[in-house]
Amino acid sequence: MSRLIAFCFLLLAAVLGFLHIDSLPIWAPFSEPSWKGPLVSEGEDGQASSFITEPIAQAAKATNATKASTSVTIPQPKLDWLPSTQAPSVHAASLVALKDGSIRAFWFAGSREGAPDVVINSAVFDPKTASWSDPTVVIDRVGMETGLSRYIAKLGNPVPARLADGRLQLFVVTVSMGGWAGSSISSMISDDEGKSWGRPQRFITSPFINLSTLVKSPALTFADGRLGLPAYHEWIGRFGELIRIEGSSAIDKRRMSSGRGSIQPAIFIDDGQKASAFFRQTRSSSEVKKIPVSLTTNAGQSWQVADDLDIANPNSAVAALSLKNGTRIMVLNNIEAGRHRLVMVMNQSGSSGWTVVQVIEDDEALPNEQRREFSYPFLLSADGSDAHLVYTWDRKKIRHVYFPAAWIKQAQTELHQQTFINSEGVH
Amino acid sequence: MDNFMQPIALLETSLTCAVLMIWLIQKMMPFQISVAARIIFAILLANLFFWPLGFSMALPLAAYVRGITGDLSVVTSLLLWSSILLNPKAIPLSFKWSIAVIATVFYPLALGVGMMDPYAWGYWSIGLLIAVLVFAVTCGVANWTRGVWILAIAIIAWSVHWHESTNLWDYLLDPFLAIWALWAVLYAIGQKRKEKARSGYLFRAG
Repeated sequence: MSRLIAFCFLLLAAVLGFLHIDSLPIWAPFSEPSWKGPLVSEGEDGQASSFITEPIAQAAKATNATKASTSVTIPQPKLDWLPSTQAPSVHAASLVALKDGSIRAFWFAGSREGAPDVVINSAVFDPKTASWSDPTVVIDRVGMETGLSRYIAKLGNPVPARLADGRLQLFVVTVSMGGWAGSSISSMISDDEGKSWGRPQRFITSPFINLSTLVKSPALTFADGRLGLPAYHEWIGRFGELIRIEGSSAIDKRRMSSGRGSIQPAIFIDDGQKASAFFRQTRSSSEVKKIPVSLTTNAGQSWQVADDLDIANPNSAVAALSLKNGTRIMVLNNIEAGRHRLVMVMNQSGSSGWTVVQVIEDDEALPNEQRREFSYPFLLSADGSDAHLVYTWDRKKIRHVYFPAAWIKQAQTELHQQTFINSEGVH
Repeated sequence: MDNFMQPIALLETSLTCAVLMIWLIQKMMPFQISVAARIIFAILLANLFFWPLGFSMALPLAAYVRGITGDLSVVTSLLLWSSILLNPKAIPLSFKWSIAVIATVFYPLALGVGMMDPYAWGYWSIGLLIAVLVFAVTCGVANWTRGVWILAIAIIAWSVHWHESTNLWDYLLDPFLAIWALWAVLYAIGQKRKEKARSGYLFRAG
């Protein structure tokens, strides 16, 4: 008799389980940015673009020449700093555009990376006055552990996203034990453009005590308004994943790479179905130090590992941005070791290669011990034609660089001319 | 549901801690503690873990445990609570074998070996749900009714989003259940070998 009752209960569970699965949203295509233009990113063999067109030294000279010849008429990139919080160590800045046209930045700051006193800071950039507001604390370790009802040892990377309903969501890496390999992702939602935040909630994305899921790159949007968060693991495996999100829960995830060689995916969307992801390589010292690539042709439901992008990567993050005319830019450290050189590379719509258009930082000429770290770049465009860049400057400050639309247009023009000259030379 | 999720999870962790303490106490006792006494002790001890104790701790004890262990699966919690608080029928070795085999295949794949991720099936796969239902029916057919109840409750908990996870695997399996199952299987194999050796000695041909 008791067995019969148990089977009836199991039947009820089966019905509820099937209803639950039936209620899940179908996988939607990628949402293309409203300013998105046509883009060709694949070579003839269907692989990702995989070459850089000129040696860095030449590119630097070309850029300097460009600066010299156009300094009168073309607005130059504007450099400033995110406001100081007096914290000795800052890292992992990110940006989101606000409804009034301003830009909100997030970063973490404390006595050192991974210290219990690390907090998530935020400040707003007013483009009219070209100035930053005073920094505010979004959340600290104690606030996070109170909200999540569990012990939290330290906070890490913050990454903001805009939800389909207009609210802001902030993803934050949290660790309860161990190093960054023990990370999980939590998120908070703001109804007032980031002035205040709701209670943090935990994403469960790993079967092993939810260990080791981190976030660094901006989220993408699906056509149904849901977010896709490029995340990564760095414990037993070091690989990328695309997490599909509804509210404050992960509702699906797909592996973008495997093994121990690629983290922090930065995604370029080609169209509703196609996208390419560029990773920070974390390979062993004997392996190639290039940017790993994965491709999808079904809106991220499955990914195939492609040939590496032929740009050096010293185990450092890559920032990616698509502009409205189809041009893509990335900011990265194009060296095999160290993070003392940071450049912007550009890939024009219709072309298949990447060219250095700006050397942003370069301590190559300095002795090893004097070289500083320029890392964790994050790119955002306010209107699809300009670019805001933030990055960690020697772990002491966060640098903000604004590339006006006119500067980017000039860089595109020169890139086009250079491509034309190169092709003339070939013929 | 979201408002109750954190207190419920803390309560579950508190009860699990309390039950483990009772298990330890029982191990040290020369006599069997009655079921009623075990339940009363569990409730009392759970309170100790659930409420903030003050001192230098900002959180209840259970929150510190939860920070390390995460939320245990429904299967683990119910198996543990029922096994220690009540006097149920023993868990069949075949169940332990199944968990050990599944965990041995599942965890390496889910943690990054290759491009196939069985953990992702837990979000949406009807195939996985059917497999779990078949497994539960098999438990019933094998006359282990407790297994049917536990698996049914786990599926219902998943379908109503009882825990933070929306993944069916997190309601069925966790590393602690896997380690217990592997240990139980290895122990059973060891016992069997011992018995075999002993019987071999007794009945060795003269």
